[in-house]
Amino acid sequence: MTKNIIPIGPQHPLLKEPISVNIEVSGEDVLGGSLRIGYVHRGIERLAQERTYVQNVHLIERICGICSHVHTTTFCYAVEDLLGVEIPPRAQYIRALMCELERIHSHLLWIGILAKHIGLDMVFMHSWHNREIVLDIMEALSGGRVSHAANLIGGVRFDMDAEHESMVRRKLQKLGDQLFGVLDAIRTDPTIRARTIGVAPITADQIREYSVVGPVARASGVAVDMRRDSPLPPYDKLDFNVITYPEGDAWARTMVRVDETRESLKLCESILDQMPEGPVTTRVRRKVPAGETVIRAEAPRGEVFYYLRSDGSEFPARLKIRTPTLAALSLIPVQLSEIRVADIPVVLAGIDLCIACADR
Amino acid sequence: MDNNELLFRLKQTVGDDLAVLETINNEMVYAVPVEKWLNVAALLTKEWGNIHLSAITAQQREELEGQIEVMYHFWQGQGITFVLTLPADHPEIPSLIEMIPGADFYEREAAEMFGIYFTGREATPHLLLPDDWDKAPPFMGKEIHD
Repeated sequence: MTKNIIPIGPQHPLLKEPISVNIEVSGEDVLGGSLRIGYVHRGIERLAQERTYVQNVHLIERICGICSHVHTTTFCYAVEDLLGVEIPPRAQYIRALMCELERIHSHLLWIGILAKHIGLDMVFMHSWHNREIVLDIMEALSGGRVSHAANLIGGVRFDMDAEHESMVRRKLQKLGDQLFGVLDAIRTDPTIRARTIGVAPITADQIREYSVVGPVARASGVAVDMRRDSPLPPYDKLDFNVITYPEGDAWARTMVRVDETRESLKLCESILDQMPEGPVTTRVRRKVPAGETVIRAEAPRGEVFYYLRSDGSEFPARLKIRTPTLAALSLIPVQLSEIRVADIPVVLAGIDLCIACADR
Repeated sequence: MDNNELLFRLKQTVGDDLAVLETINNEMVYAVPVEKWLNVAALLTKEWGNIHLSAITAQQREELEGQIEVMYHFWQGQGITFVLTLPADHPEIPSLIEMIPGADFYEREAAEMFGIYFTGREATPHLLLPDDWDKAPPFMGKEIHD
């Protein structure tokens, strides 16, 4: 049978961000594929060397349009480590609260995209409708729906009063009430099950070979979660489950994110319960003492890695950022075999692509 | 394998050229010579199977003129970083993709951004830069700040 190449991207209705995937097919069978990224490469690691630490918080925020907060959180913890500063406990909890809200909104966004790709518009609308509640909370707290600018070096930019807290609790309650029915429906819906069970399985060995992290790894039974393994404060004081599924197929990748959404909702509650009183910022110097540090944090898509070296000036000497999607992307060519053409969207959506993150 | 045993095995593999550097935020940091790098990687993968490679960082330090430093950041229950130093005029280092397929993207990025040659693999096509990029590797240009 003749072989054909289906080019998907860099611009394609299936994709929200530019990436080029060339898929080799024979009839309905997918034989293989190749990948090209870099279409939204902005050179942020190099640009960071030309900006002060304070300016860099705003640059780093723009790495990603979904998980912007976890990037600035990781960067600020790195700078604070070099400064030898510990931020006030209340600021740590506010950072974590924003991280968990971001995880809920990222997972709901992903569930919607998956549903849209397999033609289940009902679930798409419900999950994005519920995601709006999370964005409303984040906007009410920080003033921004997507770029929150919540972090400063030395703390967070805003405090929460009693009114904020009751608003967040009320909205989270409403979100839980509305969402749990949808999440239960996803688990039992025959269309989702038919389109995902057994599709494009990834073995635990493949996960480790390609150093893949986050929900994709956990869906193949690899229990990695930097919130537990290398906890930034206050995660060492919080109790939560690391969700894993053994199957490794598109179904498991869906279920991990469904369960993590519930888990993050619970985490938001415990963060609010435990939130200590006190200031939310501490004064820091503009110049950062010479030194180097490594910080690992858990973004919605998995381990995000920051290496930061200071030469004692106001400008970072080297900032290295490894985002979770970059690791997961290397699996795409591996996954694009022994599937059918109709499974391509499920495979591409399954690893939760964040191209802006990967390209930086 | 705990830290003491790792150190013992590394000394066996690398010999006197092994240097234990200061920890970076609780990460163990070892400096190894390039000639022994494949042996060290083989030791890690033999002991731990598919060890998790978080990232490869390349950089030029002001105090090490004419040299490029390459750091391999692993995670095995804790952070383990290996530091290798290459001459900037011909930075060459063995590729790890045979042992750790996930190193592919990180090697390609280090290759295009710093002009590092990875031996033992076919080519390092551009990862982030355009195919027709004909300027110097972006990180090897002149510094903006003196």
